[in-house]
Amino acid sequence: MNRAHAIWVIYASLGCALLLMLLPLPMDWRIIRPDIATLALYYWVLALPHRVGVATAFTVGVMQDLIEGAPLGLSSPGLMLATLLLLFNYQRIRQFDLLQQTLMMLVLLILSTGVEQWLRNGIDLPAASWGGLLGLVCSMLCWIPLRSALRHSRRYYEVY
Amino acid sequence: MTLQRGAVDAAAFASDIVLAPLDAWDRIAASFRSRSALQDDVLRLQQENRVLKGQAQRLASLLAENARYKALLNSAREIEDELIAAQITSLSPDPARHVVMLNKGAADGVEEGQPVLGAEGLIGQISLAGEYNSRAVLITDSAHALPVQINRSGLRAIAEGSGAIDRLVIRHLAATTDIRVGDLLVTSGLGGRFPHGYPVARVTNVDISPGDAFAAVSAAPSSALDRGRHVLVVERAPELPIAGSR
Repeated sequence: MNRAHAIWVIYASLGCALLLMLLPLPMDWRIIRPDIATLALYYWVLALPHRVGVATAFTVGVMQDLIEGAPLGLSSPGLMLATLLLLFNYQRIRQFDLLQQTLMMLVLLILSTGVEQWLRNGIDLPAASWGGLLGLVCSMLCWIPLRSALRHSRRYYEVY
Repeated sequence: MTLQRGAVDAAAFASDIVLAPLDAWDRIAASFRSRSALQDDVLRLQQENRVLKGQAQRLASLLAENARYKALLNSAREIEDELIAAQITSLSPDPARHVVMLNKGAADGVEEGQPVLGAEGLIGQISLAGEYNSRAVLITDSAHALPVQINRSGLRAIAEGSGAIDRLVIRHLAATTDIRVGDLLVTSGLGGRFPHGYPVARVTNVDISPGDAFAAVSAAPSSALDRGRHVLVVERAPELPIAGSR
């Protein structure tokens, strides 16, 4: 196994993506805020599965909860499950063309968000409405620019 | 819980970083505001101040009168609540919740459970107080409910948040209840969380269908919850035992 190189890029990009969650949006527009942090996590799992895995997914989930002020551990299980699926299938998903991969991201986002909403129901917290699916579609569309940006930075800094 | 309190401050700090460029732009823009606009503002504020002062004069005499009656009735003296002025710095990123971030925290006397007032009435309560920042859940959050009273008839009820920013729902009112569109709902003070008498909402819709046991009542918050940035946190006066209770 190679020694790690420039893996700070991974954590910097995840941190920036989490900060973007804090950008102010009007009350009714928050629903279409793309979930950049989750997508960045999926990108890194796909690109470097030997560096980014379930533990990172757990950490990103906890950070999301802390930023949202939600009960801790609400986002993590969904992210971990989706990450696990990615880890089992990353070789196949890497071969997908852009459209297939983008749709795959929608599936993963629905999975992780679905688990989170299910947990919310379990502890009687307000869950997202069906309009939340619109937000997932927005996130899905963000995969296209995000993937090229992260791929570019991965190659530029030679992260492996 | 301690971790989450710390996270309130950390998240506020992070959002300050994200917002720094916007803030800087606002400041630059504000320093270039025209003199006439500022003069207009001063004039308007002076007029508003005069009107408010006039109203406050009456308030003082009414308060004194009220205190005398209370003394006559031998009930507990009501202590005026202390107010902490705060600003809404951001909204929670979670679209399903109506939670706002305030720029005052435990260091300024903010505690969990304290009521938050807007310009025209109650808007929410503090849900998590960090050291220098805090989170407040608004009354329209669908996990929030508060005891209210109809100002006209004194009838007590529970106003629940609906998840829509301009609507509260009052459930479990019998179809024969005396409630009308336009009735003002004020906090009833029951439950001990909110002090008595702050305006909360106005009834906008009363729907009584013959088949149902309960009336479907909804109300609009008195304060526009999605407008304005300045709020007041009510620092509760120490409770005095009421004669005859306990």
